Amino acid sequence: MKEDQSQKPLLEAQNIELRYNDKPILKELSMDILSGGVTALLGTNGSGKSTLLKTMARLLMPQKGCVYLDGHAIAKESPRSLARKMAILPQSPEVPMAITVRELVEQGRYPHVGPLRMLKKQDHAAIEEALEVTGMQAFEQRPLDSLSGGERQRAWIAMAIAQSTPVLMLDEPTTFLDVRHQLEILELVRRLNQERGTTIIVVLHDLNQAARYADRMVVLKDGRIVRDGTPDRVLTEAVLQEVFGIHATVLKDPVAGTPIFLPHSVVHREG
Amino acid sequence: MNKLIRNRNPYEMTYKIGLLAALLLVLILCVMHIAFGKVVISPQHILRALANVQEEEHHRQIIWQLRLPRTLIALVAGAMLGLAGAILQSITRNPLAEPGLLGVSAGSVLMIVIWITFADGLGDATRYLPLVAWTGGIGTVLFVNALSLGKGMDITRLALVGILTGSVLQSCTSLILLRHTEAVGSILLWMIGSLNGRVWVHWDMLWPWALVIIPLGLLSAGAANALQLGQSTAASLGVSVRRMRWMMLILAAVLTAGAVAAVGAIGFIGLIGPHIARRLVGQDARRLFPFSTVVTGVLLLGADVIAQAVSFELHVFGLSSQVSLPVGAVTAFMGAPFFLYLIKQKRKSH
Repeated sequence: MKEDQSQKPLLEAQNIELRYNDKPILKELSMDILSGGVTALLGTNGSGKSTLLKTMARLLMPQKGCVYLDGHAIAKESPRSLARKMAILPQSPEVPMAITVRELVEQGRYPHVGPLRMLKKQDHAAIEEALEVTGMQAFEQRPLDSLSGGERQRAWIAMAIAQSTPVLMLDEPTTFLDVRHQLEILELVRRLNQERGTTIIVVLHDLNQAARYADRMVVLKDGRIVRDGTPDRVLTEAVLQEVFGIHATVLKDPVAGTPIFLPHSVVHREG
Repeated sequence: MNKLIRNRNPYEMTYKIGLLAALLLVLILCVMHIAFGKVVISPQHILRALANVQEEEHHRQIIWQLRLPRTLIALVAGAMLGLAGAILQSITRNPLAEPGLLGVSAGSVLMIVIWITFADGLGDATRYLPLVAWTGGIGTVLFVNALSLGKGMDITRLALVGILTGSVLQSCTSLILLRHTEAVGSILLWMIGSLNGRVWVHWDMLWPWALVIIPLGLLSAGAANALQLGQSTAASLGVSVRRMRWMMLILAAVLTAGAVAAVGAIGFIGLIGPHIARRLVGQDARRLFPFSTVVTGVLLLGADVIAQAVSFELHVFGLSSQVSLPVGAVTAFMGAPFFLYLIKQKRKSH
């Protein structure tokens, strides 16, 4: 499932520099994303992982550098044409909404039909598929504000899926969910990648989960990429100590075979 | 059975029934609105007068010259305020947003007051009131927007600047009021909002604009739906967030100023109408916008029926026959407690 097509990157960030209030968040950062994989962006709070995701989705504009999708600079694309190529689900917007799940998922068709044709009820196969793949069919007429956190998150993901884009980005999709719902979301993400070939970039907090579900782990620290590779190569005791500041033991997950860590203590730095 | 219930949109049903009920209410309120006033006219007389029966000449005059235009203005001005409120609540994602929020009403009123105090004697002054109000309203939106421009389009900041600008503009109006005590009566009516003395001239300056702007507002529902999912989500759906939001702000400003030009700064109605509508038909703008429009029209008409009835009572009790309650006082008097009730209810349900 990895790197099955040409080796030309699908998405390419080149020398990205982004400052917020004069504070540099991303520093001369470059990254390539090949078509078809699940890439997890990781790092401590404030490492710039979310910022990198938003920059690649053009929700933020870098002061320097450029992001290319299929060889075209995304900064020059029209919003709607870009939204037909990639979807991003921002960190879950916790506003109670009195609209039904189906009405939310319908919004995913916006880039395909535009504001005026969105006045009509959208009736597209992509909507049914999105409801089905997320298991939200039974909930389609339920108001969003009557759902549990996990169900709501799945509804939002369904909206992004209905957008039918080859690239899907998710910003901490498992935050605030209990462990079962976290796994549900991650399994869904994995399935989207395997069954539909969707290229997925996801910001995650949980390193063990990232190792379990991603093909590639990219670790950021202070706005730079410090580790990049398969879970086996990235989730190591050295990385945990240097980047995340903890002493830990890395084991092999007896079921999945992926690396898994057990934290022991905080690294106390001198001075 | 279960599947049937599951597959039905819960808001859709309320929407259809609600629209029917609202239209029925419009009819009933129209009759009441025409009936009440200093002279109470019975429904038979109304029908006969509307049919231009000869011996009803007196009633015919009252209805055709005084009451009917007022009824229509109440409905349409209310509708415009309701739609403006719904648009603002959607794009700011704040249920407390209302037409007065961005200082639009205050700006329009100030310009109107300046116009009627200083341009009096220009003859056809009333005809230009909408333009005057729009200058004030749109000017205020531009000003507020320019001041709150910073990184992105921060809605909280926009609202804050809007409220502050609104109060400054309002105190300007008060200053004029203090300088021109002879015009206190009419200035106050603009500030509170009133339908007294609204006749065909006012209707003629209201309807052409309403006919253009209300449909435009309703057509913006598709974009509003995306916008109310939040700035980032809307952007990821391919919405040009800044441009769309800007266009809808202007739309709301134009709707508000149009209504203010006809009836003054009527408070609360543009807040409560959309609020009631949202509770009944949900947040999908494709239902919310038309429903808010109708509901708020009904509310303003209902409030004016009360205003007229109360004015009439005062007359009976031997007070000055000139006393007539401005409808803006009714909406504030009934609207504020009603709103408190809604807020309290909402607390309970969560």
